[in-house]
Amino acid sequence: MTAIPLHFELPDSQTAIKFLKKLHKTIDFEIASQQYTIKTFYDSFDWRLYNADILCEFNQSKSASYISLIDRNSGVTFVLEEQQDVPRFSDQLQNGRLKTQLSALLEMRALLPVSQLPHQVHHINVLNKDKKTVLRIRLDEYESLANHITLQPLKGYDKALARVSLLLQNSLQLKTTTPSATLDHALKYQGRKAQDYGSKLALKLDPKMRAGQASIIIYRQLLRTIQMNECNTIADIDSEFLHDFRIAIRRTRAGLSQIKHTLPSPIVAKYAVFFAWLGQITGPTRDMDVYLLSYEQYKATLPISLRADITPLYAFLKDKQVEAQKELAAKLNSPNYRTQLANWEQYLKAPLAKKDRAKNAHISIKELADQRIRKVYKRILVEGEVINDSSPAEALHDLRKTCKKLRYLMEFFQSLYPKDKMKFLIKSLKDLQAVLGDFQDYEVQEINIKHFSEEMMANNIPSNTFLAMGVLVQHLDAMKCAARDQFAKQFTLFEQPENQRAFKHLFAHKG
Amino acid sequence: MKIIASYNIKGGVGKTSTSVNLAYIAAQQDYKTLVWDLDPQGASSYYFRVKPKVKGGSKQLIAGDRNLDGLIKATDFNNLDLLPADFSFRNLDLVLDERKKPTQRLKKLLSPLTEEYDLIILDCPPNISLLSESIFAASDILLSPIIPTTLSLRTLEQLKKYIKDNKLKHLQLVPFFSMADRRKKMHREIIDTLSEKHPDILQTAIPYASDIERMGLERKPLGAYLKKGRSTVAYQLLWQELLARMNNHET
Repeated sequence: MTAIPLHFELPDSQTAIKFLKKLHKTIDFEIASQQYTIKTFYDSFDWRLYNADILCEFNQSKSASYISLIDRNSGVTFVLEEQQDVPRFSDQLQNGRLKTQLSALLEMRALLPVSQLPHQVHHINVLNKDKKTVLRIRLDEYESLANHITLQPLKGYDKALARVSLLLQNSLQLKTTTPSATLDHALKYQGRKAQDYGSKLALKLDPKMRAGQASIIIYRQLLRTIQMNECNTIADIDSEFLHDFRIAIRRTRAGLSQIKHTLPSPIVAKYAVFFAWLGQITGPTRDMDVYLLSYEQYKATLPISLRADITPLYAFLKDKQVEAQKELAAKLNSPNYRTQLANWEQYLKAPLAKKDRAKNAHISIKELADQRIRKVYKRILVEGEVINDSSPAEALHDLRKTCKKLRYLMEFFQSLYPKDKMKFLIKSLKDLQAVLGDFQDYEVQEINIKHFSEEMMANNIPSNTFLAMGVLVQHLDAMKCAARDQFAKQFTLFEQPENQRAFKHLFAHKG
Repeated sequence: MKIIASYNIKGGVGKTSTSVNLAYIAAQQDYKTLVWDLDPQGASSYYFRVKPKVKGGSKQLIAGDRNLDGLIKATDFNNLDLLPADFSFRNLDLVLDERKKPTQRLKKLLSPLTEEYDLIILDCPPNISLLSESIFAASDILLSPIIPTTLSLRTLEQLKKYIKDNKLKHLQLVPFFSMADRRKKMHREIIDTLSEKHPDILQTAIPYASDIERMGLERKPLGAYLKKGRSTVAYQLLWQELLARMNNHET
C-alpha cells in the first residue's frame, strides 16, 4: 500500500520561490518541471462526481493535457488519461478506465466546466543520497487563491513522507488542508459552493408553520429549480435539464391541486393553467429524449441479425427531437412564458399577509399534510381495489396519477415526519409506482413506435427496419403484459395491513 | 496480467537490461509494471537506484511471513515499481527446498499482486535450479535473450528440451537475439540462418551497444536518458513484437 498524499496550504504572504528557498536549506531536491497550466474542474450540473467523492480535473499545459480523477477524501489520483479536450458526454471518450468510471456515474449527464484556474505547477523530486527520488512534491501556484502543496508519497518510502511532512508543519509552519480545498476556494470566489444543486427536494418545514407560509416555501424552491434548469434546457446541454425542469413543473402543479386552499383560488386557477401549458409544451421534447435514451436498450432486445437494421429509427428520433427542441426553445424564450414566470416569482416574493386569505392558509402545515396524505392514500386504496384483470388500461393510468400525487405530497412534507418511517412508506409506494409506470411507458412506446413506422414509410426506409421495429413492438407488448401481471401482486403488497396501519398511524392528526 | 521471466541458463546475455528497459517502455504505455529482481547481484535494483535489501531476507520472503506488497519500492518512473534484490537471494534454492511444493511457491507469493499490476517482469539469475523451476511455474512467458553464438544456441535447445520434457505447456518460450554485433560475421550468419530455422525467435535483435552499457553509469533505463537512439528503438520494437506475440497467443 502506498500512503495517501498529504496536502498543505502556503500562507498568502509566501510565494513559491520563498518556499523553495526555505525547503532547499533542509532537503536535497531537484525541480523536475515548472510549467504554466490551466486547471479546469469538471462535474455534472447535479454534482454526480463530487457526490461520489470524486474530483475531475482537466490540466492543460504546453507539453500535455490530461484528465484526472481524484478521490476527494484521500487525494489519490486513481485515473489519469491524456486528452486534448473534454467531450460533453463520457461515451464520447475512448474506451478505457476514464470512460468506464465516468459513464457509470454520469450516465446521460453532460460534463460541464465548474471552475477554471490558470496557475504555475512546480514538480519537485525529493532525493536520497543515491539521487533516487523518494518523494514527489507538487506545488500549485495560483494568482488569487492560496498556493497548494501536495506531498505525493512513493511506494516503499513512507519515512521520506513523514520527514518532509513534519518539516512543513513544524519548521515551515504550514497548515494542512484537504484535497478539494482549491475547488472549494474557487467556488467561494464565484459565490457558489459544491453540491449547490440536486434534483431531490430538500425542504425543511416546521410542523407548526402556517400552511400558507409553508406552501410558499415549497413553491419558491420549485421555482428555483425551474429557473436553474431553464437556460440549459433551452441550450439542450443534456436531457436531464429538461427532465428536472419538467419535474419541478409537475410538482408545482401537484402542489397547486393538492395543497388545497392555501393560496387564493384565482391565483391557483391562473397558475394551474400556466403550469399545465408548460407541462404540455415540454412534453414532445422529453418524449423524444426518452426514446433516444432507451435506444440502446431497444437495440439490445432485438436478435443480433436485426440490430443494425434499426439504425434509421435513431436518425428519425433524433430529427424529431431536434425539431421539438427548437419549438420548445422558442416557447421558453417567448414573452408570454417570461412574463408569467416573472409574475409567479413576484407573487411568491410578495409579503405573506396578502396571500393568507384562503381557507386553509392559517391551519398548521402538519394538520394539512396529515389530511391530504390520508385522503389521497385512501383514494389509492379505493381505485386500486376495483382493478381486476378485465379492467381497462385507463383505470391503471388513473391510479398511476393518484400515486404520483401522493408521492409528491409525501416528498413535500417529508421533513414533518420521522425520517425512517417516511422512507419505508415512500419505498412501498415507489414499488407500486414502478409497476404502474412500466405498464404506462410500454403501452405508450408500443403505440408510438407503430406511429413512427407509419411516418417513416414515406422516407424510403429499408423494409428490414420495419421488421426490426415490429420485433421491438412485440417486445414492448410482452413487457407491458408482464407489468400488468405484476400489478395485482404489487398492489397486494402496498395495501397489506401493516402498511395501512403505518399510514393511518403516521398521518393521523393528533392536534 | 502477464508474468514475464527474463531468463537464460547462461549469464551476461542481457537479461537485466531486457527486464529494465522493457519494464520502462511498458510503464510508459500505461501498463502498471513490477520488476522483481531475483538475482542476488541486484543489477536491476542498482539501475533503479534502489538499495538491494529486503527486510527479513529470502527466508521470510519465501515463507510468506512478509507481505510482498510491503517490500515493493516505487522507481523514479510512473507505473513502474521494483521488488529489490537481496544478497540472501543466493540461497533461494536452499530456502525453497525446505518448503512443501517448492516449485509452486513463487506463483503463490505473486498471486496477490496480480490484481495490482498489468505486468510483472522477473529478472532471473542464470541457472537451472529449483528457483528456475519455480519461476517457470509462475510465468506465462519465458523471454530468453540469446547471443548469436553457437554456444548460446545450444543453451536454447537445452531450454526447449527442458520445457518439453517437463510438460510446461502454459509457458510460452520467446527467444530473441541480444548483444548482436552485426560487424561480426558469425553473428550475422547465425542470426540469418537461425531466424529461418526457428521462426519463434523474435525478429528484433538488440544490438551490442555502448548506449546500453551506459545504463550502469546513468543508473536509469535506456529510454530515460536516450530518447531516440538505435538501441532505444530496438527495445521499443522488441516490446511491440512481444506484445503482439502475447496477444496472438491469447487468441
